[in-house]
Amino acid sequence: MSTIVIGLSLSFLLFLLAAGLTLIFGMLGVINFAHGALYMLGAYVCFQIVNWTGSFWIGLLLAPIVVAALGAAMEMSALKPVYERDHIYQLLLTFGFILVIEEAVKIVWGLDYKQVPTPDLFSQPVALFGSQIPSYRLFIIGFGATVSLALFLLLERSRLGMVIRAASSDADMAQTLGIDVAKVRTAVFALGAGLAALGGVVAAPLVPIELGMGFSVIIDCFVVVIIGGLGNIRGAILAALLLGMARAAGFTYAPEWVELITFVLLIATLLTRPAGFFSRKGRAA
Amino acid sequence: MHRRLFMKSSAAAALAAGLPAAPALAQEPADFHIAAVLAFSGAYGIIGKDMRQGVEIAVAERQGRVLGKPIRISWEDDETRPQPAVQKATRLLANGAQMIFGAVGSASTLALQSLADQRKVPLLVTISADDKITRVGGSRYTFRTSNTLGMEIRMCVEFAKARGLKKIYGVTADYQATRDGWDLFQAEAKKVGIGIVGNDYAPLGNRDFSVIVDKMAKSDADGIAVMITGNDAVTFLKQSGQVGLGKTKAQFGPVLQDETLAAAVGPASVGVFSGVRYHFSVDNPANKKFVEAYRAKYNEWPSSFAGEAYDGMSWWLDVVDATKSWDREKWVEAFRTSTRENSVEGRKVMRACDQQAAQVGLWGEVVEGQAPLPPLTMKITNTFDAANLFEAC
Repeated sequence: MSTIVIGLSLSFLLFLLAAGLTLIFGMLGVINFAHGALYMLGAYVCFQIVNWTGSFWIGLLLAPIVVAALGAAMEMSALKPVYERDHIYQLLLTFGFILVIEEAVKIVWGLDYKQVPTPDLFSQPVALFGSQIPSYRLFIIGFGATVSLALFLLLERSRLGMVIRAASSDADMAQTLGIDVAKVRTAVFALGAGLAALGGVVAAPLVPIELGMGFSVIIDCFVVVIIGGLGNIRGAILAALLLGMARAAGFTYAPEWVELITFVLLIATLLTRPAGFFSRKGRAA
Repeated sequence: MHRRLFMKSSAAAALAAGLPAAPALAQEPADFHIAAVLAFSGAYGIIGKDMRQGVEIAVAERQGRVLGKPIRISWEDDETRPQPAVQKATRLLANGAQMIFGAVGSASTLALQSLADQRKVPLLVTISADDKITRVGGSRYTFRTSNTLGMEIRMCVEFAKARGLKKIYGVTADYQATRDGWDLFQAEAKKVGIGIVGNDYAPLGNRDFSVIVDKMAKSDADGIAVMITGNDAVTFLKQSGQVGLGKTKAQFGPVLQDETLAAAVGPASVGVFSGVRYHFSVDNPANKKFVEAYRAKYNEWPSSFAGEAYDGMSWWLDVVDATKSWDREKWVEAFRTSTRENSVEGRKVMRACDQQAAQVGLWGEVVEGQAPLPPLTMKITNTFDAANLFEAC
C-alpha cells in the first residue's frame, strides 16, 4: 500500500511539472523548451521569498505569480511576432529563453546550491500501511489533485475555458466574434509559466535548487506529455498517474529497470498511439 | 641570377621545413603557461570556481612565478563534458601551454589523459576520483594528488567497522565507477564480518528516492551506505530526512557531504558521515597559512575542491621549480618520486608505480557549526592511515 501512496505522490508531482507544458502546446501550438527553466526559476524565486519571509506558503502563492508575470512579458515581447511563422522559430526562441533565464539566475543567485526547507506543517512523517510516509508527500497528492481538478474545470467547464478553446481552435473566427485572441494567448502562456513555477516550488523541499534542475526535469515533462497526448490536460493527468505508479512499482521491485520501463512506455506510445495514449480525435486540451 | 637565388632560397626553406623542430625543452618560454580546464558550468559548475580560487592562492604564494618566469593560467570551461575539455585543452596546448590542470568530472579527466599522453604534457589531477585515472602501467604524464574512489570506499568500511555496524543497506549511483565502488565495498565489508542486507542502483540524476528510502527504513540494517554524490546525494538526504531515516540508521558515504552539500540539504544533514578530501580544520601550519590567505582573499572557508587544488598545484610548482629545468620529462621524473611533507592534509607521498599520492583519509560528521564556521560544518571524527587505504603496488 505504501507503494501506492508514494506512486500517487510521484504522479501528482509529475503532473504539476508537465501541466504547463501541455497547456501551452494545447492552446498555442508552441513547444515551450523553456518550461524547465521556468520551473527552475520558480524554485529560485520561492527560495528568495522563503529567505525574506520565512514562509513556504507565501512562496507557494507568490512565486508562480511572479513567474507568470514574466511569462506574460516573454510572450508579448518575443513570442507574439513568431506565432504565424514556422514552428522552428518558436523552438529556437524558447531555447533562447533557457539561456537568458539561466544566465539571469546565475547573476542573481550565483552557482551555489540553494535550499528550501520542508514546511513545518509537513515536516513529520505519518505512519501509513506499515511505512513512515513523509507528510509532505501527502500534501503533494492533495495539492496536485486540487490543481488538476481546477485546471480541468477551468478549461472544460468554465466560460473562460470555452473562450480559450475557441481562440486556440480557430483564432480568426474567435477574433471575429469579439474575443481578444492576443490577450488570451498571453494569459495562456502566463498560466503555463506559472504552472511550471508551481512545479518548481512544490519540488523545492525535495531536491537541491541549482542551475541544472530545469534540464533534468524537462525530459520527464516530455514523457508525460507524449504519453498523455500533446496538449491534452486530461491525458497529462492519466499519463502522470501511469508513469508515477510504474516508477513506484519499478523502484520497489526492480530499481535498475525503472528508466527502461519509462522509455518502454514512451516507445510503446509512439509506436501504437503516436498522438498519445489518452488523446481523443480532434480534441485539444 | 634571380632564378638561382630563388632556387637557393627554396632549397633552404624546404630543408628547414623538413628538419625536426628544435626541442621545446631547450627553449625558455616567456612564461609558464598552464592550461586549466575545469567545470565552470554544467553539473559540476560550482566546483570549478572553488578550484580556481585554490590555485590562485597557490600562485600568489610564490609571487606568481616559477623557474624565474611568470605563471600564466588560461581558464577554460569544459561544461562538465569530455568533448569541450579536449577541444579547449588542445587549443591551449597549440598555444604553448606546458601542462594541463583539471578536469573535474572523471570522464573529462580520462579524456584529457589521452591528450596528455599523446602530446607528452603533464596532467595534474586534484579532484577526479575514478580509480582508472591512476593505475599501475597507466599514463606516464598523469598525476593525482587527491583521493581515489577506492581509497574512499575503504574509508567507508573502516568507519563501519569502527562504528560497530553489522548490517548495511546501500544505494548506488547507476554508473560504472560507483558500481565498481559498491562491489569493492561489499567485498571489503564481508572480510570484516559486515553483512549486506540490500542495495538499489539509482539512475544518475534521480529525483525521487522515496521508495528506496522506504525499503531502507523497513530493513533491519543499522547502516546506510550512500554511494552517490552531488545533486543526487542532496536529493537522497533531503528525502531520507523527511522520514527521519538518520535517527535509527547511520547514513554514510565516500563523498556524501561537505559544507556545500550540507547547506543544500539543510538540517537533515546533521549526523551524516562522509569521507572528506580536504578540510579547513586540519591542524597543521601549512593548512593554517592557506586557510588564512584564502579567507582574507575570498571571505569564505575553503572547500575541499579549493583545498585539494591549492595543495596539488603548490606541490607541483615546488617540484618543477626544484628541477631548474624547462624539460617536461624532468618535471615528470621528479614529481613521480616526490614527497610533500608539509601538505595541508599532512604527509603525501607520490607513488611512482601508479603516480597516485598516498595520503591519510579524513572522515567527518556533519554538525551544527558556531560562527564564524558555516551553520552546517564537517567535524573530522577519524583520520585513517594511508597503509589501510591503498593497496601495495
